[in-house]
Amino acid sequence: MNDSSDNEPVKTKRRDFLGLLLGGGFFAWIIALFYPVVKYLEPPEIEEAKVSNVKIGKVEDMAKDSGKIIKFGNKPVIVIREKTGEYVAFSAVCTHLDCIVQYRKDYGQIYCACHNGRYDLNGRNISGPPPAPLTPFEVKVVKEEVIVHEKEV
Amino acid sequence: MNNENKKSIKERTYSWLDERFKLSALIDYAKKKSVPKYRETIWYYFGGIALLLFVVQVVTGVLLLMYYQGTENSAYESVKYISTKVSFGWLIRSVHSWSANLMILSAFIHMFSVYFLKSFRKPRELTWYTGFGLLVMAMAFGFSGYLLPWNELAFFATKVGTDIAGQLPVIGEPILKLLRGGEDVSGATLSRFFGFHVAVFPGIFTVLLALHLIFIQRQGMAEPADWKDMPESEKKYIPFFPNFTMRELLIWLIVINILAILAVFFPWELGTKADPFTSAPIGIKPEWYFMFMFQTLKFLPGEILFLTGEFVGIAAFGIAGILWFLVPFWDRRTPSGKRNTIINYAGIFAVIFIIVLTTLGYILD
Amino acid sequence: MQKQLLNIFIILLLSIFSSLLCAQTKVQDECLNCHKEMDSEPANLYVTDVHYSKNISCSACHGGDSKSDDMDIAMSKEKGFIGVPARSTRYEVCIKCHANQETMKNYGSKLPANQYENLKNSVHFQPSYNNEGPIADCVTCHSVHNIKKVKDPESKVYPINIVSLCGSCHSDADFMKNYNPGLPVDQVVKYKTSVHGRMNVKGDPNVAECASCHGSHDIYPVKDSRSHVYKTNIPEVCSSCHSNSKLMSKYKLPSDQYDSYVNSVHGVALLQKGELSSPSCNDCHGNHGAVPPGVESISKVCGTCHVLNMELFEQSPHKKAFDENDFPECETCHDNHAVMHPTDKMVGIQEGSVCMDCHSNDADDNGFIAADDMKKLLDSLSAEDESTKRILAEATQKGMDVSDAEYSLKDVRQILIQSRTSIHAFDISKFKEAISPGFEIIGKSKKAGIDAVDDFYFRREGLGIATLIVTILVIGLYFKIKKMEKKKG
Repeated sequence: MNDSSDNEPVKTKRRDFLGLLLGGGFFAWIIALFYPVVKYLEPPEIEEAKVSNVKIGKVEDMAKDSGKIIKFGNKPVIVIREKTGEYVAFSAVCTHLDCIVQYRKDYGQIYCACHNGRYDLNGRNISGPPPAPLTPFEVKVVKEEVIVHEKEV
Repeated sequence: MNNENKKSIKERTYSWLDERFKLSALIDYAKKKSVPKYRETIWYYFGGIALLLFVVQVVTGVLLLMYYQGTENSAYESVKYISTKVSFGWLIRSVHSWSANLMILSAFIHMFSVYFLKSFRKPRELTWYTGFGLLVMAMAFGFSGYLLPWNELAFFATKVGTDIAGQLPVIGEPILKLLRGGEDVSGATLSRFFGFHVAVFPGIFTVLLALHLIFIQRQGMAEPADWKDMPESEKKYIPFFPNFTMRELLIWLIVINILAILAVFFPWELGTKADPFTSAPIGIKPEWYFMFMFQTLKFLPGEILFLTGEFVGIAAFGIAGILWFLVPFWDRRTPSGKRNTIINYAGIFAVIFIIVLTTLGYILD
Repeated sequence: MQKQLLNIFIILLLSIFSSLLCAQTKVQDECLNCHKEMDSEPANLYVTDVHYSKNISCSACHGGDSKSDDMDIAMSKEKGFIGVPARSTRYEVCIKCHANQETMKNYGSKLPANQYENLKNSVHFQPSYNNEGPIADCVTCHSVHNIKKVKDPESKVYPINIVSLCGSCHSDADFMKNYNPGLPVDQVVKYKTSVHGRMNVKGDPNVAECASCHGSHDIYPVKDSRSHVYKTNIPEVCSSCHSNSKLMSKYKLPSDQYDSYVNSVHGVALLQKGELSSPSCNDCHGNHGAVPPGVESISKVCGTCHVLNMELFEQSPHKKAFDENDFPECETCHDNHAVMHPTDKMVGIQEGSVCMDCHSNDADDNGFIAADDMKKLLDSLSAEDESTKRILAEATQKGMDVSDAEYSLKDVRQILIQSRTSIHAFDISKFKEAISPGFEIIGKSKKAGIDAVDDFYFRREGLGIATLIVTILVIGLYFKIKKMEKKKG
């Protein structure tokens, strides 16, 4: 028993080492494979990728005769709830020199503070330097939710 | 004491399964499987690589399905979302795109190696036929999947590709409408291609793959033709389990790592969203595995005798494809042990043709 | 006897003289002789006419033979007599000479010969509403039979007289409504309140009147780009007098306004970029009632377009201070004609800022502190914007997507515009309110950019670790295989 066990420990050590290396290696590899997959399946903070339409909230969230700017993909869009309760939406980029427009309750019009340009609630340029009307967007109300869509041509 | 318990658990599990599924018979059978060891053994790995890459495609494909949206309005945005917002989404997407290309490449290499080694000869004709079907399906996967990000390049590549399909006489028009879901490439096309890509093609592919693998298991690995007259003692083999399998595992680890390297250093681009109203970008070209056919069609003159150039091209490829498909049928010499120089030259011509025309397709912009 | 001789001599002299005179004066114009005898008005007037002094006879316009005193010959059709020319074609008579440069030279005149060319496409030459002929032809303005040179103070088109001439139609609402009820009819009234009008009424023929700006023959509607007073042509028209230093010095006026304007933001926009919404001279000074705006009302003039700036200014502490010191509001910092694109260099305490024109580093000068604060904040935000853009560019160049952060940065441009506008409230707390959202956005975008760059490196690090693991596995497997085969062998 003594003479055979002299060689054994060396061989077993090497065998063990290789086995350990392979076992440990595979374990690490499995983790390296599964970690990204598990992380991938966790939903990210920003929930959806939709850009063809944007939900902006419930119908009651916006007061009548008020307006707000929302982000539609990478474009700013102004959404206005008229006195009648109807919603309209337009591109918020002024057609004069690209400033962001706003809704002026006192005028009942869309107003650009840069050079006093004005648009009516149909998006038409009615006063001041803007040379063209604002691009309209469609607003639909589905089950109490207000959704802004690209306007179909 | 512990060792004895462990052994008995292993043994007990084995005998439980064996009583129900005759495991021992399968294992004995598997132990006998071997791979011929000679100069060309290296080519025997490519089938396995193609299989590995297919599995990678299924896994990454299912993961992509978690976030992909297959409608005109949000397909592009969903792919962008995956690539930018989802954790490791960039990795899954790029791996899926790269693996698709590598899978088709390894399928081509596998097919050509089988062709030149004549492994298609009796009794393996059906393996060849199912294999050919798998290659065609792989390219169909590529063509349908390419459209799914709904970006500019894909849109126009699909338009050109389906246009060519529509050139066939009689059946061309209905095929074009069937593929496109209408007259033009539109959201309907995207829906169809999505359905094909994730449901129809996987189904067909799985059936063909299962047959292909069953045939291989049943018949064992093909031996080289000139071993027919060799004495048994001189033939060298590698046992499939565990030797060849471990070698395959080594190669597969490297292949997976290569995919990761490609995903990090050569991420797959997304480009701009498809817009049916803009004109096609200059230099629109299909993916590389269609390039040789595309370039050939470009070279053909508009009219040859009374037929359109495109029709002649498509017909020529069709006939060549059918001949290639039927090679086990018309190769009479190899089964009798002689060298079939016609087949060899035809194969060399095919390889050179494909390489040259693919290269030209990229050089001649 | 000597007295009588002297009388005869004088009478003889006089008669010779008068007959000589008679010989000089158109003894040959029998038309005139006859019609004068008849006491006809045209004939009586004609001797005052400039054409008469050039020896031009009645037949030059009416045809016929002016040398014959026989009516049948003199007024015969064969001799070309046309009688009173028809209203619709009478201008053809004038242009027979006046459109021919040679003819004008032959009469020793330096007059141009292009009046008809100019007139025929103009608005006045269109058919009148009752279709009798052109709305206004030569006779309408220059009259007939008593035509005087333009420089003659008796001419209907002499600068002093032209105002009432134009006004005879253009101030008549009943008449103008036949052509365009929308056209104003108060031009003359307004004109008379203007500097030009008041001096014109006083008898100065060198100030601008109707024709100076609108042209005399080639008059087009204001919206027609061929009009002298089309928006883009106005600066040149005004500068034709107002850039003439010799002329302006008589009125103690500067003559550099046009040069200043042409290089200004408004001038470049209008004249080089064709931006028709940019102001021209008349947009600030008025058209017919032109006056330079009063010192206290300059902000109201600028404020017709720059409303927000005006509102803020008028509620700011500067309004009272400026009015008390008679400083011309907007002009004080921005100039009146040479309005340049404002830069951040105008604000602050450094040399060259407009704030330092009045404020100084005194203990009780709050404006000094406010100016300094505003400038520092503006500079800081602009610098942060630049550095964030650089980080995002680096991330993009590395292939990472930072489009959301880039989108947010667009708001910073908007916030900078709004902050610069809010300067006009001259209130540091309002300014800070306007500018602080910008810093918030920058913070978020910068973080997104840095995160993206970090992710870029993370991917490579992760790959490195994975490759390391795979390498170890591959080497291990290789040895395992070798060992396995050795054993078997």
